[in-house]
Amino acid sequence: MDSFSTGSSGTGSPQISTDEFRDQMKAQLAQAYAQEFLETVRGKCFEKCISKPGTSLSGSESSCISRCVDRYIEATGIVGRALFTSR
Amino acid sequence: MDASALNSPDLQRFLNQEKEKAMVNEMVAKLTSVCWDKCITSSPGNKFSSSESACLSNCAQRYMDLTLIIMKRVQSMQ
Repeated sequence: MDSFSTGSSGTGSPQISTDEFRDQMKAQLAQAYAQEFLETVRGKCFEKCISKPGTSLSGSESSCISRCVDRYIEATGIVGRALFTSR
Repeated sequence: MDASALNSPDLQRFLNQEKEKAMVNEMVAKLTSVCWDKCITSSPGNKFSSSESACLSNCAQRYMDLTLIIMKRVQSMQ
């Protein structure tokens, strides 16, 4: 994670308000989550859709990838709900 | 904000909340990955079949059951 930054420049120890710290931390966490999600989806959909890499993505490969991304997002929702619904 | 501000109960509460959220997020991400591999065996379609979505849901819950069993077993060994 990046270190926290302030808008100010100049000498002396940079001061950051608690609110700013909270906002920056939330933003960085959100970015980290998004990045991790992207990595995972990329791996899964490459595996599912690109069986023999050619010199470019075919139409069917592209549409497979689109569907795959949608399905993976949907799967995340199903799993999340299954975990937090009591039986 | 200097070092002493890190002790504020407000901030501690915020940090604990974010820590918990991070743990939940990691659990869901890991489970989705595992259950996707187990349940989505064919090429992704325009929607899940009912068996695919049931599999995903069951997978998540069985995995949690498993976690509980393992914890109990390990505890009983100590």
